[in-house]
Amino acid sequence: MASSSSASGTVVTERRGIPGAQFVADVQTYLTQSGLDVNSALAFLQERLQQYKLVEMKLLAQQRDLQAKIPDIEKCLDVVGTLQAKKGTGEALLTDFEVSEGIYSRARIEETDSVCLWLGANVMLEYSLEEATALLQKNLENARASLEVLITDLEFLRDQVTVTQVTIARVYNWDVHQRRIQQAVATPTQE
Amino acid sequence: MQQGGGSETEVTWEDQQNINKFGRLNNRFHELEDEIKIAKETTDNLEDASNELILTDEDVVRFQIGEVFAHVPKDEVENRIENMKEVTSQKLEKLEEEKQSVVAQMAELKKILYGKFKDSINLEED
Repeated sequence: MASSSSASGTVVTERRGIPGAQFVADVQTYLTQSGLDVNSALAFLQERLQQYKLVEMKLLAQQRDLQAKIPDIEKCLDVVGTLQAKKGTGEALLTDFEVSEGIYSRARIEETDSVCLWLGANVMLEYSLEEATALLQKNLENARASLEVLITDLEFLRDQVTVTQVTIARVYNWDVHQRRIQQAVATPTQE
Repeated sequence: MQQGGGSETEVTWEDQQNINKFGRLNNRFHELEDEIKIAKETTDNLEDASNELILTDEDVVRFQIGEVFAHVPKDEVENRIENMKEVTSQKLEKLEEEKQSVVAQMAELKKILYGKFKDSINLEED
């Protein structure tokens, strides 16, 4: 029944605080090595699964935030770009902006060399158009890079979840298999 | 994941990696479907916008830039909308291509995994 002796598992080092799920090549060896009986092993694996799920929720929330932030920054870049294009034409920019729900007012924006950017935490700074573009561009790149890292983290996490689920199924099956064997062995001797 | 009937099929590291890859592809497939839906809606909206533009007889159109509506000459708005349509349709094309590739890879993996595990594994959408 047991396969030729192979390493009992491939250990994946953790990634940014997420522990790697140990791959189990042979259930028997895994149980012997860890010294756990079937129920304890299943309980341990289930708990691991729950922890993974928690981390997944957290990462998904972060991903949603970033995915909302990126279009925001792009819109700001758009506006600054428009102001820059208007510069040198001598025309003022007329815009309608929302004052309150459904109520708009008209603004006349004269040619300008600077804009104010909201930096958060009740702070707003004035920048020249070029500086503003550079800053927004940098923020956009950072946000995109963070999103990339986050997506890779999520992929790693999902892999660990899959490995753990497969291990749970296999330990359970192994247990069922063992019981069947024991029953089959027990019955003939009763004759 | 479906529980097997107590059979003792070997699961190798390669099998595990295939299963992991299938899981990843499945996730990506759903993400792509959502993104494609959004891209299609954007295309429709741009189409409606450019139709409205043809019908209007005003010279100045209020075009949304960021959170405000700037007064932009009609010609410029037409150009902008054309560009946006171009960008969106290219994006849509790329997404569709990626979706095709993902579906093909998933079919391949299904063949391999069902071949080895038959009933012990369930790779269908619930």
